[in-house]
Amino acid sequence: MFHVSFRYIFGIPPLILVLLPVASSDCDIEGKEGREYQHILMISINDLDTMIKNRTNCPNNEPKVLKKHACDDNKEGIFLYRAAHKLKQFVKVNDSEDFNLHLLRVSQGTLQLLNCTPKEGIKLPSQGEVQPTKNLEDNKSVKEQRKQKSLCSLGILLQKIKTCWNKILRGSKEH
Amino acid sequence: MMILGTTFGMVFYLLQAVSGESGYAQNGEFEDAELDDYSFSCYSQLEVDGTQHLLTCAFDDPDVNITNLELEICGALLNVKCLTFDKLHEMYFIKTKKFLLIGESEIHVKLGGKSITSKKLNIVKIVKPEAPFDIRVIYREGANDFLVTFNTSHSQKKYVKELMHEVAYRQEKNENDWMHVNISSTKLTLLQRKLQPDAMYEIKVRSIPNANYFQGFWSEWSPTFHFRTPEITGRMDPVLLTISILSFFFVALMVILACALWKKRIKPIVWPSLPDHKKTLEQLCKKPKKNLNVSFNPESFLDCQIHKVDGIQARDEAENFLQDTSPPQLDDTEKQRLRGSMQGPSWPSEHAVITPKTFRGDSPFRSLAGSTSMCEVLVQPSSRSPDCREGGKNGPHMYQGLLLGSGTTNSTMPTPFPFQPGILTLNPAVRGQPGLTSLGSSQEEAYVTMSSFYQNQ
Repeated sequence: MFHVSFRYIFGIPPLILVLLPVASSDCDIEGKEGREYQHILMISINDLDTMIKNRTNCPNNEPKVLKKHACDDNKEGIFLYRAAHKLKQFVKVNDSEDFNLHLLRVSQGTLQLLNCTPKEGIKLPSQGEVQPTKNLEDNKSVKEQRKQKSLCSLGILLQKIKTCWNKILRGSKEH
Repeated sequence: MMILGTTFGMVFYLLQAVSGESGYAQNGEFEDAELDDYSFSCYSQLEVDGTQHLLTCAFDDPDVNITNLELEICGALLNVKCLTFDKLHEMYFIKTKKFLLIGESEIHVKLGGKSITSKKLNIVKIVKPEAPFDIRVIYREGANDFLVTFNTSHSQKKYVKELMHEVAYRQEKNENDWMHVNISSTKLTLLQRKLQPDAMYEIKVRSIPNANYFQGFWSEWSPTFHFRTPEITGRMDPVLLTISILSFFFVALMVILACALWKKRIKPIVWPSLPDHKKTLEQLCKKPKKNLNVSFNPESFLDCQIHKVDGIQARDEAENFLQDTSPPQLDDTEKQRLRGSMQGPSWPSEHAVITPKTFRGDSPFRSLAGSTSMCEVLVQPSSRSPDCREGGKNGPHMYQGLLLGSGTTNSTMPTPFPFQPGILTLNPAVRGQPGLTSLGSSQEEAYVTMSSFYQNQ
């Protein structure tokens, strides 16, 4: 009998904690008509995409970090919320002011259009892939490689954001 | 102590009242009169300098002392919370790339570091495009129209690309008579027929955001362009010119012919004149020739048996008629002739002989429809034969030629009586007035007719 109560005490709470994100409230998307996305966000995304392609030669494989998050049905808002926060981490990867401003515009603009009340923030499990190294003793080539990897990841993330927005707008047109 | 306290209380009270009149209240609210002084309006221009945007504000009241006033914008900015405006003369402006362009911003009017008024606005809803430029007007002779083209810097921009343009044109001498045309492209066609020929025109353009996502105000007018419309040369289509000339000549010819032939040909057909009986009679009864001995004296027809045309009967009846009539009194000479003629079948050649054949050949009788009258008789009687009245075996020799109607023709002379070809003589000596009276009623009618005609002559 003691073993049964012990199981219930130590088994159920972790289960609740695991299931809690699923039960958390979703985000409301205000710009479902697509005006803000088409006239402002898409322009910045395209400019960023152009800058990234000009500077990098990215592989086709998707980083594992980004595979965890997808624009699932009825979870588009959450995905965009997490992706918008993730974009902030790519700031200063590139020294270009226009690059950073476009990045911030996509990030802040997306968050401006979302009305989310998440209970947990978005944190990248492996920060080493996206954050530039602070070790001054690293080689320039290593630095450049990491920068290239970050930009490639950013490119993939931007494409996912674009795809998710298109899915949202397509869904709003059907309704 | 009480007096001192009262004094301090009054001083504080006065200070509070004075500070209230100066417009600064303790609760931070402001008088309405003060707020109106600091009302301002703004407009934005996106990508005015590369990727930089421009926001310009100005106070509505030009008398406001802006020496210590500052403007600050907060919200909807990238990477910063607020930005401060720069001041140039009476305008406040800020030139930055850090506009988010999504959501509203708030502009504060600050006096001494403190916000005295604020206003919320959306940068994308107060966009003022740049003025169009390079306006051109080209005349297309083949199309008879004017092609208006102009350029705008927004065609190269990323954000405010879709604009509505307003083209205004007028004749230079007509002030305040502008014609307006709204277009979404940078080309416009003006038809030549809608413009005055050989006139000077001026034209200008301005733009406004297309109100899809970006909204705002009209831009400034572009520089005016002047152009002159061509004259109407009067050159017509050659085919049309030829047709018009031929038509003119045809009409002129018709008018001349109408005037020339009006009296003789056209008027008698259109407005025929009533026949005049006197003239008609003159035509019917033409004057006989001079050498023609024609007489309408009834006495000269005593020898002839006159029958009415409508009473034409067979020869037998005519013979009977002759038998009924009493022969006139004859002279001795005529009696002798009669006797002589009874014996001899032949006649003296001196007698005027008229045979049907001869008569036919020499017939002077013409139809009434012609220009001559039926009264003409080619007869030259030198003597008369009493056989004219005889109704003997030789048969009656009556000639009814004088009684022929209007149906006769020149070629043949129809004889109402099929009499035997014989001899018909006339006796001019016989003037038988009594003979007239002895004829029947029908003969009297004929004689009366002839006599009355003779009397008229």
